[in-house]
Amino acid sequence: MTTDNERYARHYSLRDFGVEGQKKLLEARVLVIGAGGLGCPVLQYLAAAGTGTLGIIDHDAVSLSNLQRQTLYTTDDIGFLKVECAAERLRKLNPEISIITYPVELTSGNAWEMIAGYDMVVDCTDNFSSRYLINDACVLLDKPLIFGAVYRYEGQVAVFNVTGDSSSKLNYRHLFPEPPAPDEIPDCNEAGVLGVLPGMIGMMQANEVIKLITGIGKVLRGKLMTFSMLTYDSFTVDITDEKPVSHLIPEDRQELKKTDYSLICSFSTHGIEELDPAEFYKRISEEKSLIIDVREEGESPAADFPHQSVPLSRLTESLSKFNQENIILFCQSGKRSLKAAGILMHHFGPEKKISHLRNGIQALQNISL
Amino acid sequence: MEIRIIAFGQIAEITGTEILTDAPDISALRKELKERFPELEHKKFAVAVNKKITEENLALQEGDTVALMPPYSGG
Repeated sequence: MTTDNERYARHYSLRDFGVEGQKKLLEARVLVIGAGGLGCPVLQYLAAAGTGTLGIIDHDAVSLSNLQRQTLYTTDDIGFLKVECAAERLRKLNPEISIITYPVELTSGNAWEMIAGYDMVVDCTDNFSSRYLINDACVLLDKPLIFGAVYRYEGQVAVFNVTGDSSSKLNYRHLFPEPPAPDEIPDCNEAGVLGVLPGMIGMMQANEVIKLITGIGKVLRGKLMTFSMLTYDSFTVDITDEKPVSHLIPEDRQELKKTDYSLICSFSTHGIEELDPAEFYKRISEEKSLIIDVREEGESPAADFPHQSVPLSRLTESLSKFNQENIILFCQSGKRSLKAAGILMHHFGPEKKISHLRNGIQALQNISL
Repeated sequence: MEIRIIAFGQIAEITGTEILTDAPDISALRKELKERFPELEHKKFAVAVNKKITEENLALQEGDTVALMPPYSGG
């Protein structure tokens, strides 16, 4: 290890960092998923700092509305792939590190292979399906995950899957066990975002990566920090493992591969009819209706009216068998049936009438008492 | 009894950033919030009592601070 690389002179002379810290950085392999508002500063600072290997995943091209905050790109880059433009800039910034580009979309089919070869992952994506996929894959592969997300004038930063003070590893599902409904949280496109915000949050993510690799300071392990651009207030909370979440995460590589995160997170619930018990009983007696129990086999109470059983976990493979015009779904509490209704809506669109029993079979029990 | 509630992101856009409550516990608080702010009905948010995320129905005490934190997806 040479100590005469002028490029890192300010790190060498930095107390508690020094030659050792730089050596650790140069040996690190960091995967940055998303090269947008958060990804740009993360990549710039990690490349400048001499992170030995940087992987970049992004399948998008640069567009004009990106330039307000995605500072790696120029107006001339519009229409070109972000990973290519980013790699070109970063190689000019630091030709001594290795930059690997993946111009593909991260999916449950490729996530394992992508993430397995890196020491840690930085989540710079802009949607919940990617965020839950990355979280679950990092849990299964036991990789530290440096999380960042923004909304209008506020940002969140957290470090997951690293042993914390309480010694257990926490992940995003300990904070938000399941994704919100698709139309619940507007993304940057709809909500707008102050251009400087992802810059600052991304720099905090880069800082957490550097702290984690070099061992300096206190990493936000198992903590969520919220930062406001309007007041500069930050608010840090401890995440806890009070509630087990492992049952929400695929069991292994094969199950991860089969999980369709885009369906879980991005279907719309628009157009799905919610039925109260009286309406439900009326509808299930109508002709041309298919009534489906989406609970797993053996859940009780059993339904005492004619129905088919298609557990939510096997719904997508059964779609071709649903020929009826009206499909009525139910489950225990109404949550899974809503999710299932969203999947059917996504698949069939307006050609079928899709409804579900609000509050599930429990609601039927209450009225029959 | 007065308990301070700090809301973030989309939740704050509905409730305002700071409100007060005298709810005796978390589930009473959730119920009260939904009554005061019907728009919260289908919104997801994590609850932190004195800067610790909790899923349990903790009893609230004078001087406690409760934070309501929604998930953000933007990047």
